[in-house]
Amino acid sequence: MTERSRVTRIAMLLIGAVLLVVLPFLVRDQYQLHLAQLIGVYWILIAGLNLVVGYSGQLSVGHVGLLAVGAYAFAIIAGKYDIPPLLALAACGMIGGLCGFLLGLPSLRLPGFYFAMATLAFAVIVTEQSVAQTELTGGGVGLPVPGFNAPFDTPAGLYWLILAVAALITWLSWNVARLMWGRALIGVRDSEVAARSVGISIYRAKLIVFIFSGVTAGLAGGLFSSLQSYITPDTFVFELGLFFFTCIIIGGRGSIIGPFIGTIILTAIPEVVAPLARLGNFFYGFLLLVVVLLTPEGFGRLIQQVLARFSGKVNESKVVAPDPDLLRKALQGARN
Amino acid sequence: MLQAEEVSKRFGGLVALSAVSLDLRPGEVHGLIGPNGSGKTTLLNMISGFYPVDQGTVSLDGVALNTESVAQRAQRGIARTFQKPRLLGPLSVLDNAMLGGWRDVGSSFLATALSMPRAWREERELRERATQMLKGVGMAHALDRPANLLEHAEQRFLEIARGLVGRPRFLLLDEPAGGLTPTEIDHLATVIRVLREAGIGILLVEHHTDFVFRISDRVTALDLGRLVRHGTPDEVRNDAEVIRVYLGA
Repeated sequence: MTERSRVTRIAMLLIGAVLLVVLPFLVRDQYQLHLAQLIGVYWILIAGLNLVVGYSGQLSVGHVGLLAVGAYAFAIIAGKYDIPPLLALAACGMIGGLCGFLLGLPSLRLPGFYFAMATLAFAVIVTEQSVAQTELTGGGVGLPVPGFNAPFDTPAGLYWLILAVAALITWLSWNVARLMWGRALIGVRDSEVAARSVGISIYRAKLIVFIFSGVTAGLAGGLFSSLQSYITPDTFVFELGLFFFTCIIIGGRGSIIGPFIGTIILTAIPEVVAPLARLGNFFYGFLLLVVVLLTPEGFGRLIQQVLARFSGKVNESKVVAPDPDLLRKALQGARN
Repeated sequence: MLQAEEVSKRFGGLVALSAVSLDLRPGEVHGLIGPNGSGKTTLLNMISGFYPVDQGTVSLDGVALNTESVAQRAQRGIARTFQKPRLLGPLSVLDNAMLGGWRDVGSSFLATALSMPRAWREERELRERATQMLKGVGMAHALDRPANLLEHAEQRFLEIARGLVGRPRFLLLDEPAGGLTPTEIDHLATVIRVLREAGIGILLVEHHTDFVFRISDRVTALDLGRLVRHGTPDEVRNDAEVIRVYLGA
């Protein structure tokens, strides 16, 4: 990366960050702010899920189950037991991580398709249980969910809380993605054989990332339920799990900005453009089809390709010419 | 010393290897030759851990490795390449080579997520090491290129560089000359000689016999899963049974 493009990038990040912080003053009505909150909550889950789906290539469609666990956990802990909401939120993250561990432990040994089925089964079980365990979850009637304490008790305050958690999770997942762990996860996705041959223990790596995604799903669930202020089993339909998955695929595997844009587009468009809302799942399905057929690597890759075309590299050398002296030095340097 | 003692492998009714022994010392090139289906790659896969051993022992410095996974053996410093290069297509050449250094990554997932100084130090060290190694094997021109845009020879040399970034004690090369031009094979020979000089033990599985005889210190010849001859290149080249196997007489 050149110095100039780095400066441009940092400047753009700063502008984006400032815009996100002052967003409550920019929106025209409460509905738009609600939409921003919703996008933030979804993104918290998707940022973690992205490491599982986009980086490690594990096709989980059942994270809606983990979201539901977090949501009910928050409603029960903060609502029934009067635990301070921020503490309850932290507990949601831990419970989400624990559920991720328990779900991943048996299922991550399964090959792709069967793993997806296992996560689907988990989502179904969670929904069934949320109906059946009437004492705990209120059954089909559902549960009221308390809000957060001041200063997070206003819509803008809740938005900033969501923004802070989202920023933290984004930072964590970005660090994972850009350092050695990111390469290892892509190794798990693209060539298990290569990954094993360099010493990566596949199952362990998958499990750790899955636990992380459970924590983010639990946190998202806690914030989500507080945002909804009332939850019922119908809130956590299977389509929502598919929606998270679609955001990542449309955004592009192996990037963070891609799925982020995917989340914004898929959440906002049906809400803003009323006719699309009526199409509902048809719209998601159609968009998924278009992306998979036209740009299988997602929006993120499309943007990269366009940028690469403008930078215009031609006549690249393809000649391999080893340099024994350099190699000797490199091997010596590696030994120390 | 990396050793396979009397190892056997069956696939259903087919005996792929029967009681074959082979040892690999530091700083030597050990060629493993044989016609197609003779069990060369099977043996390499058993040493690197991809196939479990039915009978016999694979050991490193006298410690049996039979029950260790591929990853555990890699952690002990046994690196390998593949007949058909296994690279991460969308990642750059440099990223692919850096992956080979996973063995030296001590930062946990959490430490990495929290951007701890140690994670960054390892990142910098591996980036530097991978860059030097790629320059050494002749890939300096393509550091930023995605691996899926590489020519065949580039993929082969990148795989070798990836193996080297893990500072291996032993490097197992599975048909490294396959698909290379004569000039590229010379380059490969140059690289292998430097590795030997640096004390790395190299197992060279190959059916370009000329190349193997030219570069190996010792050669083992297999046929139909059994050991035909073991010795210096000259001994093996002039062995009557080896000639019979190769000429089919």
